Amino acid sequence: MINKFFAASIPPMGIKYLYVFLLLIGSIFSEARPISYSGGSTLMLKSNAMQNSAYYHYSPSYKFSIGIEQVKDKYFDADYSYLRLTYLLNRKNTRHSQRNLYLQSGISSDGVDHYFYGVHGDWETRRLFSGFGYKETQTASLDYAEQYLQLGIAPYIGEYGDLHTWLMVKAKHDELTNEWNTYPVIKFFKGNALMEIGYTDASEWDIHFMYRF
Amino acid sequence: MKNFYLLFVMIGAVYTSAQDHQMHDMEGHNHEGHLHDTMVDGKLLEVNSERFDDFVLGLEGKQVAIVSVSGMVCDFCARGIEKTFSKDKTVLKLDVDLSGGKVLIAFDKDKNIDFEDIKKKILSNGQNATDLQIIKI
Repeated sequence: MINKFFAASIPPMGIKYLYVFLLLIGSIFSEARPISYSGGSTLMLKSNAMQNSAYYHYSPSYKFSIGIEQVKDKYFDADYSYLRLTYLLNRKNTRHSQRNLYLQSGISSDGVDHYFYGVHGDWETRRLFSGFGYKETQTASLDYAEQYLQLGIAPYIGEYGDLHTWLMVKAKHDELTNEWNTYPVIKFFKGNALMEIGYTDASEWDIHFMYRF
Repeated sequence: MKNFYLLFVMIGAVYTSAQDHQMHDMEGHNHEGHLHDTMVDGKLLEVNSERFDDFVLGLEGKQVAIVSVSGMVCDFCARGIEKTFSKDKTVLKLDVDLSGGKVLIAFDKDKNIDFEDIKKKILSNGQNATDLQIIKI
């Protein structure tokens, strides 16, 4: 679960706790807020039926972020890292909404023939959310794509610092399984932390935890 | 997929009407708790009066910049703005009004408040500052 990437810098008990933590909250490839404010850092932990991952990124500006993602690939039974770059291609701010379009890419520690690229976007107000994503992954043995659509509603409008809740529906397609799965997702925001939890019989838990600092 | 879209359209219709009402209130038009009769530079001051009164406690003799911000739709946006301004030593106090889309920043009375600098700081967080009103306390 935790390979040399983590083992080098985390004491044994730390590894144990991180292992448990990843198991508990460990991925969806949709990423809320993939770029932070200038100078901000973000830690993301994700888990779903296909993979678990831990991703740290730093944003030198609000336009892009650069980071390292450590992946435990359940489908291919492999561990590898990605050097990732996300770029904000377009943003439209209005009084009550924000719309974003991002380009994402990553190159694997496995070699130059293993990489991904994609696009994802979102539009949200304080009440409504919609998002989509497309990601193409190339490996030495197989190329595949993933797509998702996500729509959500905030049942109440919280003030700054409150616990914010989103009720969402997500539809995800994975070429590896060649299936569309549609399932409910609940998202919580509080302070610097965000947690998103979804469940479907087909792909089981789909969990995303994020902490910004 | 078909059910997915249908579900969203149905729920969306219900919530859109609720949102419209709330957005109306957010813009300060509910005629309760807002400084509707206060004019700054010929413009009505659109800020929650209760929030403003709390903010200016202990700020006698200072000045407050009320910045209108677009794209501030979540806590993460607001938190980023707060962090950006907290690095500015000339800022005495700061309040982010997420619902009202305003950022209140207190400065010393002698500080020359530069809207371009404020715009730059807000933009570094990914939002846009669209308007500035300055009130002497």
